[in-house]
Amino acid sequence: MAEARAAGTIYDLGYQQYTGARLGRANAVWSLFKFSLRTAFGLGRGARSKVVPIIVLVLVFLPAIVRTFAASTTGMVALIDYAGHLSFSTFFLALFAAAQAPELVVTDRQHGVLSLYLSRPMSGSDYAFAKLCALAAAMLVLTLGPQLWLFLGKVAIAKTPMTALNGEYRKLMPIVGGMVVTSCFMASVGLALGSLASRRSYATASIIAFFLLLPAASSVIRTTATGDVKRYSVLANPILVITGFANWLFDVEAKRRTTLGRADLPGSAYLYTILVVCAIGMTILWLRYRKSEA
Amino acid sequence: MPALNGIRPSPAQTLPRFLMPLISARELTKRYPGVVALDALTVDLEPGIIGFVGANGAGKSTFIRILLGLLAPTSGTVNVLGMDVAAQRMQVRGLVGYMPEHDCLPLDVSGADLVTHMGQISGLPFSSSRERAAEMLRHVGLYEERYRLIGSYSTGMKQRVKLAQALVHDPKLLLLDEPTNGLDPEGREEMLALVERTGREFGIAVMVTSHLLGEIERVCDYLIAIDAGKLHYAGPVSTFTEQTERLVLELDDDVPAFSARLRAEGLDVDGNDHELRVVLRDDATYDIVRDVAAELEVPLARMEIKRHRLEELFRDSVLTGVDHG
Repeated sequence: MAEARAAGTIYDLGYQQYTGARLGRANAVWSLFKFSLRTAFGLGRGARSKVVPIIVLVLVFLPAIVRTFAASTTGMVALIDYAGHLSFSTFFLALFAAAQAPELVVTDRQHGVLSLYLSRPMSGSDYAFAKLCALAAAMLVLTLGPQLWLFLGKVAIAKTPMTALNGEYRKLMPIVGGMVVTSCFMASVGLALGSLASRRSYATASIIAFFLLLPAASSVIRTTATGDVKRYSVLANPILVITGFANWLFDVEAKRRTTLGRADLPGSAYLYTILVVCAIGMTILWLRYRKSEA
Repeated sequence: MPALNGIRPSPAQTLPRFLMPLISARELTKRYPGVVALDALTVDLEPGIIGFVGANGAGKSTFIRILLGLLAPTSGTVNVLGMDVAAQRMQVRGLVGYMPEHDCLPLDVSGADLVTHMGQISGLPFSSSRERAAEMLRHVGLYEERYRLIGSYSTGMKQRVKLAQALVHDPKLLLLDEPTNGLDPEGREEMLALVERTGREFGIAVMVTSHLLGEIERVCDYLIAIDAGKLHYAGPVSTFTEQTERLVLELDDDVPAFSARLRAEGLDVDGNDHELRVVLRDDATYDIVRDVAAELEVPLARMEIKRHRLEELFRDSVLTGVDHG
């Protein structure tokens, strides 16, 4: 033994056993959530992974900043339009989902990383839950961020900010609640479609198809059908559903000559559609990972 | 570690942490439609470095995945570290480190980030995990490269990251599925040396699978061999290799006469027209071969000791006599 020590201690500090705390599954889910949220924005990743997140961040924040700036210089507070900004952002949110949802789930499966997670104290449902929360949180940054900017801008540019805050704070409820719902919608659609695809490109294609082909299908139904089918066909168009939802949230009347104006559906129809799609998406995701094997 | 040459510390010395069976399987069976992956496997394994050999498709990966609770056995039970896998798979997974056979690494994450993250998933707080990740990456020889993206690593480096992530949470048992796969001969040697160092210096029990017996027998204390889901052999490595050593004799002529004489002397012989393979029992085998050659006046063109590849071994069913299954 003495000989071993003489030969070994110079280089070898010996193996240190870990004697600290071992945290449970909640910690595992929380770690995966944080790691995946960073992944959604390309943080801790190569430069190429940051391209899409940065472009989308610019596309959703810049118009909000420009609107606020324009409103403050012209004095036209109406330029600050919560509903308008959300429906404007929808396409970019879809783009973000198409690019980043596959990054979160397909790459893990394609590169076999899922087998590392599932061989640890973490179930398939834990994994799916962490991923869903991570993408929803990333979406929340893109939806709630600009809305809060608009809100603060509206208050700050008013002649008497305190009075403005008094009148405007009621809007916080639809802003926060609405953006949470929208983010969950985007995340569950993206991850459900992503979880079904075997390759990133297929996942991206299917998410883009969801946001481009469904509107096309919706408009085909609208031109051929009549009556209530015609009216309710707008619910097949995810982009219009978000717009309708935004109008309902912020009490905006759709313009009469637009598709939404002609459909003239009750605002809650859009909310229920979103909630149903969320539920379906989450169920698909859960089923896909519940019994997931590496 | 010069002290380790010659005398191997007994498992009891290296592993004072537990004295219960490491893995204990009872009548473990896994059936897939049309295939029996594991057939009533009953085995008790003690701490140490365990070599798990079997041809590709013999059921090694199935066994490992059952140990991790990733697959449910069709019937039978298995305990790991004294815990029933069926009832306590999360606890088992927290104390086991697993290095999969196939690719399992994200490419655009650095080695340090991945290993730290995996430590956290296994329950370590961030700061401990980061510290241990750096330590383990040093252990596997990737300390300098740890901040590089994994996509830029060579196959050998990726295998090392896979080992480091299996070690980061200080497991009590390491399951290494074909760790030398895809490596060149030098890389294989290095990986095996690393596996041996991990088992001996860290005092972590290791089960390492391979389809190449010759490769892992050098680093193992125990071997278990399975073929088509059935247990062929389980026991200390020394007994196993004795069974498998053969003397290959190359002769110019008189082969049938030569082999008949050897058989008459009680040796186990097979072969073809110009080559005979004699099971090497002990040194007396050489004496018999020499005496027979002298007696028959047959020149021996070549004589060598050969350790059989596992596939040949199973085909020849040398092991039938010691079948513990």
